[in-house]
Amino acid sequence: MSFSSLLLTACFLPLFPVSLVFNQLLGRLTHAALRAALVLLWPQAGVLVITRLDQAPPTWVLWWAILTSLLYALRLLAMRDVHLWVGFLATSQWSMLWLLFQDTPPHPSWIALGSSVPLALTVLLAGGLERRFGAAYTHLYGGLAALMPRFALMLTLSVLAATATPVFPQFFVLLLLLLDSPLELSLLILATALVWSWAGLRLLQGLLVGTEDRARPISDLRRMFAGAYALTLIALAVGGIYLSGGIQ
Amino acid sequence: MNPDLASRLAIRSMIYLAAEPIPFLWPMRTFIYNNPLHGLEGLPFAEAVTRGSNLFHARGYLSRGTYQNYLAAGEIDTDTLKSQVHELLGERDPVGALDLECWTFTMFTQCKPTLGLAPTLATPSDVRASLTGIEAEPATGFAAASTTALLTRELLEDCPIQEAIDALFGTEFSQEVDTLVIKNCLQFFDEGQATWTVPGREAGLFRAWRELSLHSLPVERHTRELRGILSAMEHPEDVIATVLTQMEVPEEHWIGYLTRELARTHGWSGFIRWRSTAKRYHWHKVFPGDLVDLMALRLALTQALLQSSKQSAYASRTALATAIEQRPAEMYLRSELYRGTILPQLAVTVEQALLRNKPADVASVFATYTRAKRDSEARDVADLLSELAQRTGQHSELSVLGGDELDSLLKTLAVCEQHEGMIWLRAMEAKTIQRVLNELSPVSAVSRVTRPFAQALFCIDTRSERIRRHLESVGDYQTFGIAGFFGVPVSFMGLGKGTETDICPVIVTPHNLVLEIAEPAELEDDTVLSVLGNSVHQLKESVVTPFVTVEAVGLLYGLEMIGRTFAPALHDRWQRRLQARRRRTHLLLDKLDRVQADSIVRAVQRGVIVRAIQQEFGLDPESVTDAMIRELRESALGHGSDLVACRAGLSTVEEQDLHAFIGRLQTDYEINTSFARLQLERLGRIGFTLDEQVNYVGQALRSIGLTENFSRFVLLTGHGSSSANNPYESALDCGACGGNHGLVSARVLAQMANKPQVRRRLAEQGIEVPDDTWFMPALHNTTTDEIELIDLELIPPTHAVYIDRLRQGLTASSRLCSQERIPTLGLDFYRSGDRAKAHSRARRNAMDWSQVRPEWGLARNAYFIIGTRDLTKGADLEGRAFLHSYDHRIDPHRRLLENILAGPLVVGQWINMEYYFSTVDNDRYGSGSKVNHNVAGRFGVMTGNISDLRSGLPLQTVVKDGVPYHEPTRLIAVIEAPLEHARQAVDAVKAVKQLVTNGWIRLLIVDPTTQVAYLFEDGTWCRHSQLAIAGRSSQEEVVSHG
Repeated sequence: MSFSSLLLTACFLPLFPVSLVFNQLLGRLTHAALRAALVLLWPQAGVLVITRLDQAPPTWVLWWAILTSLLYALRLLAMRDVHLWVGFLATSQWSMLWLLFQDTPPHPSWIALGSSVPLALTVLLAGGLERRFGAAYTHLYGGLAALMPRFALMLTLSVLAATATPVFPQFFVLLLLLLDSPLELSLLILATALVWSWAGLRLLQGLLVGTEDRARPISDLRRMFAGAYALTLIALAVGGIYLSGGIQ
Repeated sequence: MNPDLASRLAIRSMIYLAAEPIPFLWPMRTFIYNNPLHGLEGLPFAEAVTRGSNLFHARGYLSRGTYQNYLAAGEIDTDTLKSQVHELLGERDPVGALDLECWTFTMFTQCKPTLGLAPTLATPSDVRASLTGIEAEPATGFAAASTTALLTRELLEDCPIQEAIDALFGTEFSQEVDTLVIKNCLQFFDEGQATWTVPGREAGLFRAWRELSLHSLPVERHTRELRGILSAMEHPEDVIATVLTQMEVPEEHWIGYLTRELARTHGWSGFIRWRSTAKRYHWHKVFPGDLVDLMALRLALTQALLQSSKQSAYASRTALATAIEQRPAEMYLRSELYRGTILPQLAVTVEQALLRNKPADVASVFATYTRAKRDSEARDVADLLSELAQRTGQHSELSVLGGDELDSLLKTLAVCEQHEGMIWLRAMEAKTIQRVLNELSPVSAVSRVTRPFAQALFCIDTRSERIRRHLESVGDYQTFGIAGFFGVPVSFMGLGKGTETDICPVIVTPHNLVLEIAEPAELEDDTVLSVLGNSVHQLKESVVTPFVTVEAVGLLYGLEMIGRTFAPALHDRWQRRLQARRRRTHLLLDKLDRVQADSIVRAVQRGVIVRAIQQEFGLDPESVTDAMIRELRESALGHGSDLVACRAGLSTVEEQDLHAFIGRLQTDYEINTSFARLQLERLGRIGFTLDEQVNYVGQALRSIGLTENFSRFVLLTGHGSSSANNPYESALDCGACGGNHGLVSARVLAQMANKPQVRRRLAEQGIEVPDDTWFMPALHNTTTDEIELIDLELIPPTHAVYIDRLRQGLTASSRLCSQERIPTLGLDFYRSGDRAKAHSRARRNAMDWSQVRPEWGLARNAYFIIGTRDLTKGADLEGRAFLHSYDHRIDPHRRLLENILAGPLVVGQWINMEYYFSTVDNDRYGSGSKVNHNVAGRFGVMTGNISDLRSGLPLQTVVKDGVPYHEPTRLIAVIEAPLEHARQAVDAVKAVKQLVTNGWIRLLIVDPTTQVAYLFEDGTWCRHSQLAIAGRSSQEEVVSHG
C-alpha cells in the first residue's frame, strides 16, 4: 500500500492525526442536514478507495487503527457537545473498519452505512436540540424524558444503535471483528466497544434525566418525524440481521 | 479545663447549633409527620421559607403557572390578590405613567415566564436599547472587580469547598463525598436488613469507621490520604477542627459552613439527629452515632478526596480566593460552564478556550461571552416588559421611560416577584377560609331529648370526617372527634413481642406500660404453616439460598407473584385461610401491687431455673423439685443456702460444677438481685392506678363535651390502614398514636371506662355513666372504610340484640364513604358510582401490591376545627378537616382548650406543613416517586440504589396526573368559643402563640354568642364576617383587638 493511498484512505476511514480533517469539517458545518450527509457519505469514500486498492492493510496499520479507535472512544467520555460526540464516535467506529479488510469483507459499503445511519439520525436530533435549547450540549438542561418523550425515545434508540447495541448492525460488525481478529486486537476491540456503551449512557444521562422546570413549553418531536425515525431504525435492524445471515 | 476538652466541647456546641434547621427524620416503621422547616418556626413563615429555600435548594411555593391554573379554576380570591399587590406597592415610588398595580397583577396572573434572578450583566440602558432598538453605548464589558465580587459571594461565603471546586472545575467531589458518606451510613446504621454487618459498631460511628478505614486496602486513590488524616487523630471533634483549619474556613463561619454540609444530605442528618436524641431507641443504645461523628466522617472524606486529586492546590478558601482574584475571567467562565448557567450557543467555545488555557484566548472569549450574555439578558428582560406592556396596553408609556425609571421598574417588579409566592398563598387561603365559613353553622347547641342509638368517638384525622358524616346520615348516631390516642399515652408490648411501642404523639413520653396477653384458652402450638413460614424467612437471610433453592422455591414464589399481581383479592383470601387464626387477647392495664410484682418475678425466675436445669443437666421437668428450685434461687440471689435438695437431686454433678452453674444463673440467666430490682421497676410501669384511670377517662370525656346523655354503645374508634408493599404504610396510620394503629388506645380506654370502680369515681365528679352504657373499641380501616368491632366477646348479653343493627349502620356508612371517596383516586377499571363496586374496589386497593396509592391519606387537609359537632353537622367538608369536639361551656378555665391547642393542633400543623412542602417541591422536600424507592436498612427510603434518605411524602400522595392534588395552604384553625376565651387560651400556650403570630397557622375564632368570625392577620384580630344560619359571610372589617 503506497503512502499516498494510505493517507487518502486514512482521511476517509479516519486514522489519527488525519482524523482531524473529518472532525474539523463536521465542526464547521452548521446545518444538521449537511452534517448528516457528511456522516453518511464520508466512510463510503474510504470504503471505495480501500476496495479499489484491493490490498490487505499491513499489521502495523491495523494497530494504528485500533489505537485510534480506542483513543477517540476514550475522548468521547468527556465530550459534552453532541455534534463533537458524534464526530468522535464516527472516527472511532470508522477507524475500526480497517480491520475488516484483513480479508475481503462482504458488502463493505453496507457495513459502513450501518454505522453511519444511526450517527446521522443522532446528528439530526442534535439539530433539534439546538433549535429548542440553543445548543446540543449535555448537563446544561435535562429532563427530556419528561419534557419531550418522543424525542427522548428516538434519541435513546439512535444512540443505542450508534454504540453497537444488539440488534443493530454495528453489533454484528463488532462480533465479526472479534471473531476474525487475533486475541490482542480482539481485547482492544472489546475494550473500545465497552467504552462506546459507557459514553452513550453518559450522553443520555446528561440529557434525559433530571427535572426541567420551564416557563415556556418545549415542542416535542412531531409524530410524523418520530415515525420516520422509528421506521429507519427498524429498517436498519432488519437489514443488518439480513445481511449478517440472520434472516434466510 | 483541659484545652483539648474545651475545644471539643466547643465543636460539639457548634454542631448542635448548626443542626438546628435540620428537621428530625423518624424511622419509616413509625412514620411521623413533621414540618421540614420545624427548626425555623421561630421565624415568620415567609422568612423561614426563604431561608429553607436557600439551605435546601428548594422551592417554598408553587410555580406561577400552577397558581394561574388555580386562579382559572376559581380556587383563588382575586380581591385578596389585588389588595396584597396594592399593599406591597404602597411604599414604592411611581414609575413614569405606568400603572404599577396593573403591571404587577398582570405579570402574576397572565405571564408565564418570570424575571427570576436579577440580571448580572445587563444594565437598564441595555434593556432600554433592546426595547427601543436604539443602539446603547458600546458594551464596556464586565469589570474584573465585579467578577471577583460576584464569584466571592457565590462560591466562598458559606459554600463548602468541594462545591466551589465542582463549580469551577467541573469535578464531582460533592457527589462523591455524599456517596461515600451514604454508603458508610448505610452500613453502620443498618437495622437487620443486611446479613453481613460492619464490625465494631458498638464503638460508635466514627470509631468503627476509623478502624475500618485504617485497615482498608489502598484500592481507591483517596484511601492513603484518609489514613494519614485518621491515624493522627482519634477524636471526631479533632478531625473536624483540623480539617476546617486546613481548609482555612474562618472560625466565625464554621457554624454556617457546617449547616451547609449537614443540609447536603439532610435526610441522613435528620435521621442521625433524631436517633441520637432518642434515648430509648434500641439501635442507638447498641450502636451509637451522632452528628459529630457524621461531620467528622464527611470532612475527613472531603479532605482526603481533595488532597488526592488534581485540584489539591485549590483545597482551601485562601487558594480559591487567590485564584478568583488573579484570574477572574477564567474563573467566571468556568463557573458559568460548570454550574450550567452558560449561554448554550457559546458552551463549546468557552469549553475549548478553557481547555487550551491560553490567557489571551480566555480574555478574548470572556469579552465575547460577557457581551453576548449581556445582550441575551437584556433581550429576555425586554421581551418580558414588552409582553407586559402589550397586555396592560401601556406600550407607549413604557417606551418613554428613561434609564433610571426603567431601573426603578425592574427593581419594583423584582421585589414583587420575591413576594409573589406569599401573595398567591394568602389569596388561596382567603378562598379556603371563605369556603369553610360558608359551611359552618354556629347555632346554640340544643340538648338532645332522645338517647342516641350509639355514640362514636373518632380520631380527629381528616379521613374521619367522611365516615362521621355518613354514619350520622344512616341512623341516630352521635359522633365526636378526639385525638387518636384518646388522651391515654401508653407504652405497649404486644403479644409475643419483646419490645415496647409508644402509642402516643411523639411529643409525649408515656410512663405506663400495657401488656397484651393471650386468653388462656388460646394457647396452642404453632401451626405447620407458621413453622414453614419461619423456615422460609430464615432461608431468605442466607447468602447461599439463591444458589441452591431457586429451582425448588422459585416456582412457589412465581405462583405467589402471579396471584398477587393478577388476582390480589383471591390471593389474599387464600393466604388468610392458611394463616393461624388471630388469638383472643386481653390487656393487662391494672397496676400491680408489690406482692403481685414480686410473685411474677419469682415465677419468671422459677421458669428460667427449670429451663436452665433441663438444658445444662438434661433433667426431666418432673425431676426438678420445688426445693431444688428454691435453693438455687436463694443461692443465685446471694441469700445463701445449704443446697441439700440440690445435691440430692443433682447427685451426678460435681460440687464445683454445681457452684459454676449457680454462677451462670447469676450472669447468663440473670438470676441476681440487680436484675430482679430492674424487673420489679419494669413491672412497676405496668398498668394504671385507679386514680390514673379515672383521670384519663374523665379527661377524655370532658375534652369532647360528652358528660351526660350517654347512649347504650359508645364506640371508641381508632383508625389504621392496610396496604401491600408500601414502605409508607405507617404514614397512613394514626399520627397521634406514633404512626401505629389506634386500636390499642381504644381498647385501653374502653377497658378503663367499663370498670365499675372507675364509673363510681366519675359519678363523684359529676359524670354519670349509666350502667347499661358499654364502651366498645372499634377499628376504622381508612383504606377500605370498614369499621370492625373489637372485643365483642366482652359485651354484656343485654347488648347482643343490638349488635346487628349497629353492624348494619356501620356497614352502610362504610359503603357510602367508599362511594364518595373511591372516585377521587382515579383508578383504572372503575368508572361507575356504584356503591358495592366502590367498596369492593377499596378492598382490592388494600391488597394490591402494585398500587402506589392505596388511599389519599391526609391529602387536601386544610382545616382544624375545634368545637361542637353542631358547628359542622351537615357540612360537607370533603374530608379536609381535622374535627376535635370541644364545648367551651364546660371549660370555664380553658384547660381543656389549652390541652387541645398544645397537643392535637400542633400535630395537625406538622401534618399540614409536611403536605404543604411535599407538594410545593416534591423533589427536595418530598420523597419523589415511589416507583424508584428503595428501602434502606429497614428504617428509611432512598431513591435508586444510593441517595440521601428521603424525607417528606412521595409524589403519588400529593400529586395526581402531574397536577397537585393536595392544595398547599397553611392550616386554618377554627375555634368555636367566645373571643376572649379563645384568645386567652392561645396566649397561654406559648408554642401555639408563636405559630400563630409567625403565621404558621391561620387562626379563626367563631364566637357562638355573637356569631361573628374573627381572623388573626398581621398581628391583629380582625372581624372577618358575620355568620348567618346558612353560613354566608359578609365583608371583612378590620377592628383592632390588639
